[in-house]
Amino acid sequence: MSKEELQNKDEKNVSIDAGLTNAERELQADAKSDNKEVKRISYAGLIARRFFRQRSAVIGLIILGIMVLIAVFGPYATPFNYTDADFTAINMAPNAKHWFGTDGAGIDLYACVVHGLGRSLTIGISYAILTTIISAIIGTAIAYVRGIPEKIGMWLLDMLMVIPSFLLVAMIVRAAGGESGWLMLIFGLTAFGWIGRARTIRTMALSLRERDYVKAAKYMGVPPFTIIVRHLIPNLGSILIIDLVLAVIGGINSETAFSFLGLGIKAPDTSLGYLLSAGSSAMLTTPWMILIPSAFLIVVCVGLQLIGDGLRDAFDPYSRAAGSVKDQEEDSSKDDAQLGDLEGSIVSEETTERA
Amino acid sequence: MARFVWYVTKRILSYIVMIFVATSLTFFLASSFMNPRSNFEQRTPRPPQESIEENLYRTNLNDKTPVIERYQVWVTNLFTKFDLGMTPTGDNVNREMSSKFMASIELMTPATILSVVIGVSLGVYTAQRQYQWQDRFLSGVASVLLVIPTVVMAILIVFAAIEINARAGSRIFYVTDLSSGDTGNFFTWLIDFLQHIILPTIVLTIVSSVGYHLSQRTYLLDEMHADYVRTARAKGLTRKKAIRKHALRVSLIPTAVSVAFSLAGIFTGAVMTEKVFAIHGLGEYFINCINNNNIHGAVAVAAFSGAMTLVGALLADLFAAALDPRIKMS
Repeated sequence: MSKEELQNKDEKNVSIDAGLTNAERELQADAKSDNKEVKRISYAGLIARRFFRQRSAVIGLIILGIMVLIAVFGPYATPFNYTDADFTAINMAPNAKHWFGTDGAGIDLYACVVHGLGRSLTIGISYAILTTIISAIIGTAIAYVRGIPEKIGMWLLDMLMVIPSFLLVAMIVRAAGGESGWLMLIFGLTAFGWIGRARTIRTMALSLRERDYVKAAKYMGVPPFTIIVRHLIPNLGSILIIDLVLAVIGGINSETAFSFLGLGIKAPDTSLGYLLSAGSSAMLTTPWMILIPSAFLIVVCVGLQLIGDGLRDAFDPYSRAAGSVKDQEEDSSKDDAQLGDLEGSIVSEETTERA
Repeated sequence: MARFVWYVTKRILSYIVMIFVATSLTFFLASSFMNPRSNFEQRTPRPPQESIEENLYRTNLNDKTPVIERYQVWVTNLFTKFDLGMTPTGDNVNREMSSKFMASIELMTPATILSVVIGVSLGVYTAQRQYQWQDRFLSGVASVLLVIPTVVMAILIVFAAIEINARAGSRIFYVTDLSSGDTGNFFTWLIDFLQHIILPTIVLTIVSSVGYHLSQRTYLLDEMHADYVRTARAKGLTRKKAIRKHALRVSLIPTAVSVAFSLAGIFTGAVMTEKVFAIHGLGEYFINCINNNNIHGAVAVAAFSGAMTLVGALLADLFAAALDPRIKMS
């Protein structure tokens, strides 16, 4: 729909604002203001504006920001190190000297948590970025090639889906150990983490490949890979970005699971999952050893979830819940605590493997 | 009917090929990442070299034999004797696995049924009250529970149970294993079993029901605004009846499909829960296999869950055919 059409529609509906999409409301607000010229903002600017309009999303972003700051600068705030034991304080509850207490060997939990938080975030974010790139390229490529190569590609994806990736990743990451074990963990998680998402992306690319601009590019002799990178992937951008944020949660969850089972991060390195497994052996005598890392994990994951929901609504042009336009008096009570309706389809595939 | 049988047979054949290839890949993957030799070399005192070789050779795990030859032996035994191979200690994988089945089934059956029933009902309930406080509250809780790692959830529930036990002054909940071992009459066994199973069931139910809840809510909301529901309303059905008779049925299809696919997870998906609650099921067995360089055991668990995925995929097709009025296979 062109801008003129939108504006016409806007004039017609000026008295009835319920039932308007966000874009229409924005135009309406622009029309109401004294400045006759319509203010233009870039697509990214529009998304950012819609994102920051949602209180829950901003809270999520603040949580993530604080967590990253803690992970980066936290280690400088304490004289203790996550590998050095303080033999004068063994099994101490949280106090002024050891903010989060110490474990049975006298290692400061605060130092462990800030280092582990950094590890978990690094693993989650790297996993998310890598799997998004791989699944975007492979998913769209399979959709684009058509014919027999597409059949073969789908068959391969199906075959890789047959065996739960949890089992395959476990085989690879058990070799992880020492200070560089986290790289191995990222590799293992990525190696089998992209498959399910490539399938989803292929389904979405099926309608894109029929578009005229794809055909035009093809008949002008643009090489397939360029078409994929320049036309197909950017048009799936919003889904990829939302997926990216949710994949960070997936990565952190997997890291926690594998490290807890003793397959991922191992001493002397530490991560939130490793801290949970270390703390679970003395749950009753030193409960803070397990409750504090648990609290951090929950806060990080919920923060990311809020960001993901916020992005989903910011990208969804039909979302009535993406916040109200500032110039309007209409209340925004409807808009918080938004639970993305797209969510089920994306997340449900992952939940079955999570137990 | 003949077409239907042909369709199902074709699907089964293609799945069997798929499982075979996937399992073979798992075999090679496991063989390259696991090293049973280290089991023997790390023993103190270190056994004589000939004995190590002899042991590894007997169990078909010797890395000095080319992997393709080991694979041939393994495949031959699998197809001729249905023998899944031996562990590094010389035990039979078939026997080891069969003893873990019961624990997995006991653990997963109630949890799966409960999570489907609770998840789907909550999804239907909240979809009908979209954006009302019940929906806000329940779906908000669900989306928080969805992202909390299972381990954290299990640990917090264990904490709560220990606290309740302490308050009550007696052991209401057991936090490890599935039975105390004493076999009195059936009634005491049942009480004991319930005391053990309730906590892991709560964890598993929460973990999988939130997924069903949120997806069922989405599917039903999609269908509620479809034309055929409006037609039903126009013909005079009440809103509730239109949803129950028309929208609900179609919206159950994707849920039924994901329930069918979760069959694979029924046996192996509870790794974390089994670990936290020290239940000796297949999930725990798999982790032990990995830690003990038990290549054949790990491959067997993977192959088994592959077979379950096959069953799940077929069931998903049948569910869809049964529920979807548009699919007519006969």
